[in-house]
Amino acid sequence: MIAEGDKSYVLFPLGGKRFALPAETVTELARPDSVQTFPHRTPLLTGVLVRRGRIVPVCDVAQVLVGPAAPPRKFYLIANCNLESRQELTAVPVTGECELASGALVPRTGQEPPYIRGLLMMGDEIVEIVALEKLIAVEEPV
Amino acid sequence: MKSLKQKRPQPPQPAREDMIVFAVGGFKFAIAAGAVKEIRGMEDLHAFTLGGISGQIAKLKYTLERGGTTYFVVDAARHFQLPASHASRVMVLRNAPTGVLVDSTDRIMEISSLHALPRAFTHEERGWYRGLAVVNGTVVPVVNHNAFLNRAELEILRSGLERVRGVVTV
Repeated sequence: MIAEGDKSYVLFPLGGKRFALPAETVTELARPDSVQTFPHRTPLLTGVLVRRGRIVPVCDVAQVLVGPAAPPRKFYLIANCNLESRQELTAVPVTGECELASGALVPRTGQEPPYIRGLLMMGDEIVEIVALEKLIAVEEPV
Repeated sequence: MKSLKQKRPQPPQPAREDMIVFAVGGFKFAIAAGAVKEIRGMEDLHAFTLGGISGQIAKLKYTLERGGTTYFVVDAARHFQLPASHASRVMVLRNAPTGVLVDSTDRIMEISSLHALPRAFTHEERGWYRGLAVVNGTVVPVVNHNAFLNRAELEILRSGLERVRGVVTV
């Protein structure tokens, strides 16, 4: 049962950690597909997918969230992202299956990087809620 | 209070257009066939050396004289910031004194729609490409032919050549 004030989130794994996106932004979890590449200079983008006639950029957020040691990505979480006041789909490679969970957002403490929107307390686990549009704008992977 | 209406992504522009497919550094690109005047080999190219300017526009490799016009020939691999490739053809552009060195030209194809470059792409590629075409499931970037040498670069070249030669027709 979802308590008042709780919202739904999709939890996704990147190596040993889990992160969250608001469930209303997520449109599908896709099996690995062939990423197509062409020359570009935007740091986190690894290419594009063609999904149902639409071109979806692939943003490898693991480089920022967990660093270069992240294990191979197995699926793509496809989410709506608000870029320049337009909604665009973005594919985020994740390392395992995702889970739908609900909880209340705990506000940022101010210590987190700007691409963390807030925190979710899942028992002993603290899950960071990601602001995808801010994460995409990161210039240098950590 | 009125809520702000969120803009939806633009659908692909449904316009049929002939494109020349070419390759640079292992990647395929497309350019509007109407933007290309001639495709030729590497003969008659002169190394571009114009004191100071060669360094400012590093992608500019050669000049080509055709019908009284000096064409400035750009290395497409440098333009797209790719490793050096094996150029073998020059695409001479129409309506601009610009040539483009490419590895090979492939075929002419007709595209029926041009997808906007997703806004997640935020760097130089926004100037490089008019959009993306999907051909048999393969994504091919459609180049912005005016970006190989922009107005400012052409102006620098024009004035540099005028200094060296007196008057030049470009």
